[in-house]
Amino acid sequence: MSEQGYEREPGVTPVPRGLGVRVGMLLGFTILIAIAFVAYALYARGVFEPEQRLFLVADNAEGVRVGMDLTFAGFPVGRVRRISLRQDGKVRIGVRVPQSEARWLRSSSVFTLEVPLVGEAKLRAYTANLEDPPLENRAVRPVLRGDANAEIPRMVATLRQVLENIDTATEPGSNLQESLKNARIVSERMAGRQGVLGAVLGSEENAAKILGTIDRANRLLDSLGGVALRLDRTLAKADERLFGRGQIMEETHRAVGQANAILGEVRERLRAVDAILANAQAASASAKTAGANVAAASTDLAALRAEVEASLRKVAALIEEINRKWPFERQTEIRLP
Amino acid sequence: MALGALGGRLANWGRTLRFASFALAATLSPSSYGPATRATAVRQIYFTAWQILLPFLLFAALAGAIVMEITLKVAAQFGLAGYTLELILRVLVLELIPLLTALFVALRSGGAIATEVALMQIAGDIAAMQAEGRDPLRREFVPRVAAAALSVLSLTVIGCALTIALAYPAIYGFSPWGFDEFTRTVGKVFGLATLAGFSLKCALFGAAVAVIPISAGLEADRRKKTAPLAVLGGMVRLFFVLGLIEVASLAARYIG
Repeated sequence: MSEQGYEREPGVTPVPRGLGVRVGMLLGFTILIAIAFVAYALYARGVFEPEQRLFLVADNAEGVRVGMDLTFAGFPVGRVRRISLRQDGKVRIGVRVPQSEARWLRSSSVFTLEVPLVGEAKLRAYTANLEDPPLENRAVRPVLRGDANAEIPRMVATLRQVLENIDTATEPGSNLQESLKNARIVSERMAGRQGVLGAVLGSEENAAKILGTIDRANRLLDSLGGVALRLDRTLAKADERLFGRGQIMEETHRAVGQANAILGEVRERLRAVDAILANAQAASASAKTAGANVAAASTDLAALRAEVEASLRKVAALIEEINRKWPFERQTEIRLP
Repeated sequence: MALGALGGRLANWGRTLRFASFALAATLSPSSYGPATRATAVRQIYFTAWQILLPFLLFAALAGAIVMEITLKVAAQFGLAGYTLELILRVLVLELIPLLTALFVALRSGGAIATEVALMQIAGDIAAMQAEGRDPLRREFVPRVAAAALSVLSLTVIGCALTIALAYPAIYGFSPWGFDEFTRTVGKVFGLATLAGFSLKCALFGAAVAVIPISAGLEADRRKKTAPLAVLGGMVRLFFVLGLIEVASLAARYIG
């Protein structure tokens, strides 16, 4: 058999021209797509971009897995590349952060690992101040862990206690039940004829008594109001009589003024008498030689003068007394004798 | 009787494996490719890949669109819309499209190749070639194995690329602002290990689709009634092997 015998028999299946070109195109296209896709996947994995490293230290790496994202404000900025257990028993989570995303991480950034009840764990970065110096390469930072699973047993224990308390409070004969019963009685009374008063005082009669008392008190207050009014009027009249124009006070005032003036005059007269007596004494002294009768007369004159002076002092004292005692006098100063 | 049947099957598997190793070794050695071999290979690729390219792509697009729509809706209902793209990439691109491609090629060409080889066996062509001192493996089988494997790889790559390209508008519409997230998810799913595993799986699919039908065809002898048996056995074996590769790849990626 010749080699031709093994060729496909022509006519059985039509073989178009340019078959090699088409197959070449197909294979070339396939290779192109494959290379493009591998390049795209490598680009997507950040192979062509410089990265910086960040090591997060946690007590527990549960929920963390290689390839998970480190997010900042919900946007992935890095990816976990390695998880290893350190010599001191803590977990080191190696994260690669592309240089273009590294600006979101600052030296003051805080990292948290949150493990929710449902769904995968989340590594998050929080940066309060984006002006802080950037996070250095190969930085080691602690990661704070918020674990919903760990909270559950504590929550359940607390909840059970609360439920027990509620159970005790609501069982028949409990304080709460009694209080509610009393509250119902009180509210029934409140809704009754005497209202809140009946509820507070316990019975209808007591409430009625109190209401009667209040009525009486009201009447008493009314009459007291009349009395006060009359008293007021009386006082006003007394005021009028006492202080009004031409009334008692003014007349008294005037009388005192007149007495003062009279006394002043008396004092002036007495002073004049004193002066005359002094002159007489001087005359008698110069005429000593005139005789023994004159001497006796001058002695009488001296006694008279002493008497006049005593009277003068008494009158002055009387004026002072009046001035001091009279309360409406303008000069309030008390002069001691 | 049952033992005899079991022994026969085991023998068939053994022959298939031995043929597979020979055929793959010959296919991978450049010295196997003369101008005639290349021509046969090109023709085989034309029939296996080029002719079914359009229907295959339509099928892949339709299946992909439906699976994407279901994934989108279900994920949104469960509040997991953020995982839609990852799910689509993992389920559709990494698993479903390669398997569907392999099955497509197996149905389209595997049966044909098995029948062709069985007919050659019945006609005594292969025995004649061996008698003439020419190696039927290199002359007839290597181009077919190479062509089938390349066809599977080519269709898989194009189908997956189409699916990925369709996934973007399915999820983000025609907005360019989903590109960053899209790129990030692609980077997350297609790690180096995943890419290597994916390539290996596609290569194994291609090899199975290429080798098992030929080996099954060789099981026919000069009696005509052996041909349907050989082809049927070969196709069953092919499906079994494809399933096995898929399961093994899933186990390797997600277990352990």
